[in-house]
Amino acid sequence: MGPYERGELMAGPDGALLAFPRFLGERVLALASQVGGVGILLKDVLVRLSPSQIDRLELFRNLGRMGVKSVPIISATAAFTGGIMVIQAAPFVQQFQAEAFIGWAATFTTFRELGPLLIALIFNGRVGANNTAELGTMKVTDQVDALRALSIDPVSYLVVPRILAMVSMMVVLCVIGDAVALGGAVLTADLLLDVSPNLFLSSAVERLEVWDFGLGLVKSLLFGLMIALMSCYYGLATKGGAPGVGRAVNASVVASASGVFIVDYLLTFIL
Amino acid sequence: MDRRDDLSSGAPRRVSVNERHAEYIEGRARLGSASLAEEGPSSDLNHARMSETSPFASDEAGFLAEFRQALKELVGVLRLGRQTLYYIMNGTREPGDIAEQMFAIGNRSMPFMVVTMAFIGAIIAYQTALQSSRLVPDLSMMGATFIKLLIRDLAASVGALPLATRVGAGIAAEIGSMVVTEQVDALRMSNADPVDYLVVPRFVASIIMGTVVLLIGGFVAFASGMFVANVAFDVNPHTFMNLSLITSGDLILGFLKCLTYGGAIALVSAQRGLSTFGGSEGVGRSTTEAVVGSCFSIIVLNLVISSIGYVVFPAL
Repeated sequence: MGPYERGELMAGPDGALLAFPRFLGERVLALASQVGGVGILLKDVLVRLSPSQIDRLELFRNLGRMGVKSVPIISATAAFTGGIMVIQAAPFVQQFQAEAFIGWAATFTTFRELGPLLIALIFNGRVGANNTAELGTMKVTDQVDALRALSIDPVSYLVVPRILAMVSMMVVLCVIGDAVALGGAVLTADLLLDVSPNLFLSSAVERLEVWDFGLGLVKSLLFGLMIALMSCYYGLATKGGAPGVGRAVNASVVASASGVFIVDYLLTFIL
Repeated sequence: MDRRDDLSSGAPRRVSVNERHAEYIEGRARLGSASLAEEGPSSDLNHARMSETSPFASDEAGFLAEFRQALKELVGVLRLGRQTLYYIMNGTREPGDIAEQMFAIGNRSMPFMVVTMAFIGAIIAYQTALQSSRLVPDLSMMGATFIKLLIRDLAASVGALPLATRVGAGIAAEIGSMVVTEQVDALRMSNADPVDYLVVPRFVASIIMGTVVLLIGGFVAFASGMFVANVAFDVNPHTFMNLSLITSGDLILGFLKCLTYGGAIALVSAQRGLSTFGGSEGVGRSTTEAVVGSCFSIIVLNLVISSIGYVVFPAL
């Protein structure tokens, strides 16, 4: 860098001219290094996936901490999502005089799209951000280096259990969330639209395909992987003491959220 | 954690925060070594670790305690909302502080929101087309349905979630680190109320810029939806741009949602930020809680507003 520090160049005669390309280049390089870092982390994790290198205890602890403790907030989210989808589907169903379809119309979107997406966003805020904060704190207090000094591989001790826990728990939470969302949808349809639970469920069962449900699960699997990789990467890349942890959490949450949307977009089109 | 009681005595609190932080770091080191020694999962050290890293702190009591905690937080948010409204009426504004926050909340979120909303629009359009093509093979009304859905609900509600992630985390981290570095106490000492000085500008800026960002995001989502409909389903953009289903009720509802979400994000995040304790890890914790809390409040508010809207403005 040296004389090409941003401030100096901006002050120079051709500073204004170079400011934009410099800004663009900095952004692109930063993005490339982040994507590359996440890729390398993924490789590191995959290499260590043989069972002998997984820390069982850490894995179980993380499963409980990340999965079981997220059930209440995820259930509440899912219940509201189901209700919202019924309310949003109602006008169109009424327009086509097709009350018998409302069960299908609401559950179709919830299972395929909104359920996994909203659960992933809440999971990102609750578990992903927390994970980054934890790993970041360990990083800036040199505990990761301490692990290395004890010849314990930080990736297989810290990262692999977390990633496995997040991915598997995202799928399990999605199943639970779908069930609760169905309950919320049935309740809303009954209370607000006077559609009996029987009619609602039978239309859902008749018209839904197994794949509609399966697609949601595939999505949440990949969302979980995305959140897990991002949050671990940003946690381990933390620097700059305590404020650095805050910055890392912020960056991780935003990156995971955009990652989730991009994955969702690609999956919706491919599958 | 009642901030006011805590803060009335300046010096002791300073010790307590530092102590808590030191205790925390020490505890963390101990926990690290404990897990290295492979203690059983039932050991109380692990237990402590779980409760301390869980966003909703209470551990053994489970759902009921979590519910109580959530209620307490809700009361905190409402109280903060009342104070904020009071200071909007009676506070002293420094010139430019709202504009500064508007820049931080609005302009800085713009690139992220535009990209996200483009993807959201494409996803929703694809989903709508897929769903309606299973019912009726005719896609000529797809655009009208899509636009109505976008205005009435999805542009505001789905767009507010990434906005909450971005803005909520920012507000909570900023205010939280001011709390743990005792800058908020310094404000109180110089007789500047933190709610007036910190929360009100963010609240007003978040309402204004949240609405602006969501409106722009809605347009982006509409454009990308039109593009997807054209490419993937051969729907002509002219056919797609069918505004016939839109009623004034939809517009009012969508706009109301934008305003509400902007305010909710700022209030929930500021409340979490102001009740931060325990050093840098505490800032991380309240950031997490702010994101989860504001996302959740958006979903709950959406259901409430949508149900009211369904009754007040019948959709068709």
